Amino acid sequence: YEAAELYTRAFRLGALGHCWRQQLGPPDLSLAAEAAAGTDAAVAAELGCTAETAAELRAVCSIDMLIPSDKEKDPDVIPEDSSLLTLRIRKKALEKREEVIIVDRACRQETLAYEMESYAAGKRPDNLTDLVDEGELLLTLNIFYPVIFQKHKDHKPYQTVLVLGSQKLTELRDSISCVSDLQIGGEFSSQPDQAPEHISKDLYKSAFFYFEGTFYNDKRYPECRDLSRTVIEWSETHDRGYGNLQSVKMEDYTFNDLSLKIGFPYLFCHQGDCEHIIIVTDTRLIHHDDCLDRNLYPLLIKKHWLCTRKCFVCKKYTARWVTNKDSLAPVDPCLFCDVCFRMLHYDAEGNKLGEFLAYPYVDPGIFN
Amino acid sequence: MSSVQGLQEDCEELLGAFQKADTVRFERFAEMWRERRFHTIFYGRIRALERNKLTKKTLELAQQYFLPPYAFQIRVGALYLLYGLYNAQLCQPKQKIRIALKDWPEIQRFQRDLIDSQHYDAAYIFRALRLARAFHFTAMPKLLNYRTKKKIGEKEFKEEFKDQSNRVNSLITNNALEELMNIHDHYQKMKCVISADRSQPDKALSLIKDDLVVNLKDITLEYQEWQQNRMKLFLNAKETGEILNKKEEETLLESEGSERANALARIKYKSYSAVVEASKSRRHRQVKLESSESGLNYRKSPNKSRKNKRPQPARRRDSLEVE
Repeated sequence: YEAAELYTRAFRLGALGHCWRQQLGPPDLSLAAEAAAGTDAAVAAELGCTAETAAELRAVCSIDMLIPSDKEKDPDVIPEDSSLLTLRIRKKALEKREEVIIVDRACRQETLAYEMESYAAGKRPDNLTDLVDEGELLLTLNIFYPVIFQKHKDHKPYQTVLVLGSQKLTELRDSISCVSDLQIGGEFSSQPDQAPEHISKDLYKSAFFYFEGTFYNDKRYPECRDLSRTVIEWSETHDRGYGNLQSVKMEDYTFNDLSLKIGFPYLFCHQGDCEHIIIVTDTRLIHHDDCLDRNLYPLLIKKHWLCTRKCFVCKKYTARWVTNKDSLAPVDPCLFCDVCFRMLHYDAEGNKLGEFLAYPYVDPGIFN
Repeated sequence: MSSVQGLQEDCEELLGAFQKADTVRFERFAEMWRERRFHTIFYGRIRALERNKLTKKTLELAQQYFLPPYAFQIRVGALYLLYGLYNAQLCQPKQKIRIALKDWPEIQRFQRDLIDSQHYDAAYIFRALRLARAFHFTAMPKLLNYRTKKKIGEKEFKEEFKDQSNRVNSLITNNALEELMNIHDHYQKMKCVISADRSQPDKALSLIKDDLVVNLKDITLEYQEWQQNRMKLFLNAKETGEILNKKEEETLLESEGSERANALARIKYKSYSAVVEASKSRRHRQVKLESSESGLNYRKSPNKSRKNKRPQPARRRDSLEVE
């Protein structure tokens, strides 16, 4: 459903919202649940016709003219003698499926995908201050995972996030969940019980976005460093043709302030070297059928399912440890779940058996 | 992304029938819709996720017919089609029709045209869609993504649906012709002034054709006629194509396709040969001759089979060299 290889020129997102709001009237922008159909008099006034004509129009142009009200027709059944090519093709495809597939049911991944897409649709907050404003801009971003597996090289997996125009960049940054944030550094073969709780997310808080020649650095915490400084210095040393690269603070900007190209890849970098590509695929005005609770944004609507890697021993539990140079393991590196790890490498008193190096392992599928 | 199989054919068939009926009344459209039971287009055992995607693609396809360069009748038909598809869809909540900001002024103009020409049913339906908030107001009509390796084929839409977009006409308008006439007269007068004989320009100064503007006008008219003839022939061919057997049909279609390809080849050739062959002083003369010749060619042989067309570019080149 997306046109590849096309992208627009950069434009200010706030300006788009402004232009649309100028063009449309309150009934178009309103987020009320359902609009009234309008009386005949209103129709007559707007179209410049008489009231009788308006009444006639209502009868003639009603949707019943197109859709028969035979409720007993089951939408699942394709009519036998259809003149529509689409239906004939679809029927053939369905018949083929029936031959091949024994049980035709949505698998877990499909159910999850559908639920993610639709669970927030139409949600209204209890607290009215959390309601999204009318005429608010809604952006769809595709955030790509950094390539971990070789098989992902051609079709990079991505998650899709909906973001409001008035939200700050920092809110998006907080919502991006990447497995590299959860890594625990250090070798713990001698003290397996003391694996610290500090994950990389707490230790290395710096991050930046790169949009249109400007680096937006996260400067909320004192530990945050300007990761983009290296790049800017590099581009300034020689005339590399990148023009002026700016560096500003992420927390000062909302999406409405940015100028972006739609369909063009941009960058998000955190943990020093973990890079994600970000593409804005769509910008539109908010609609009453969208999620209207401001607190739920940025909203994740699509996520790639990564298979978790299981322990090599029991093949049941997700791996929590990885060992290198392990004399007791069949392969190097080898993954273990917590129970199997301790059973194999430590005796009843907790003494280390054999030579090995052990690291805590965080599986990329942890967000499933 | 892949398109829905068979959907384009069905939509084009319906819009084609609507165009042939030569009307913009909703009742006629509704008749045709009911005939084909178009509301069943979403039927079939489709699960929710797939159905959402399918409906989005369907609405996107129908929406394309709603915008220029399609003819007025097709656009009204597309409006009715969108109305039908939007209400016939089985998704809950309903999938919306995407409208880009750049298209909105055009659509406003369209709505005003409808109201002015008192096509109340079309205007009412547009109003109904708008009140039902069936539109998503977006920046771009399609979702965009960046992928370096995949190639997306250009979708071919029917020629006959397109409005007779006449590039030649939009370039050589009446105003332009008038101005050309004025400049031409002025030029002639200048030449008279500087030559010995005050009433006539010097022979040595005649570098261009005197009846430049008249020729230009004639050629433009010829082109228009040719375009109309071609369209009629195309339609006839389409009709008779069903009666003829397959082979002949193929050659007819081929000849149309190749006609286009050959027309393009001719234009390319024209530009190249004009630069290469003609000497500077005769360049204007060269251009005139070529285009009038091509006009004649088109009038004489709109339906030539492929074989005859191929030597034509070669033939013209020979004629140039003789010049």
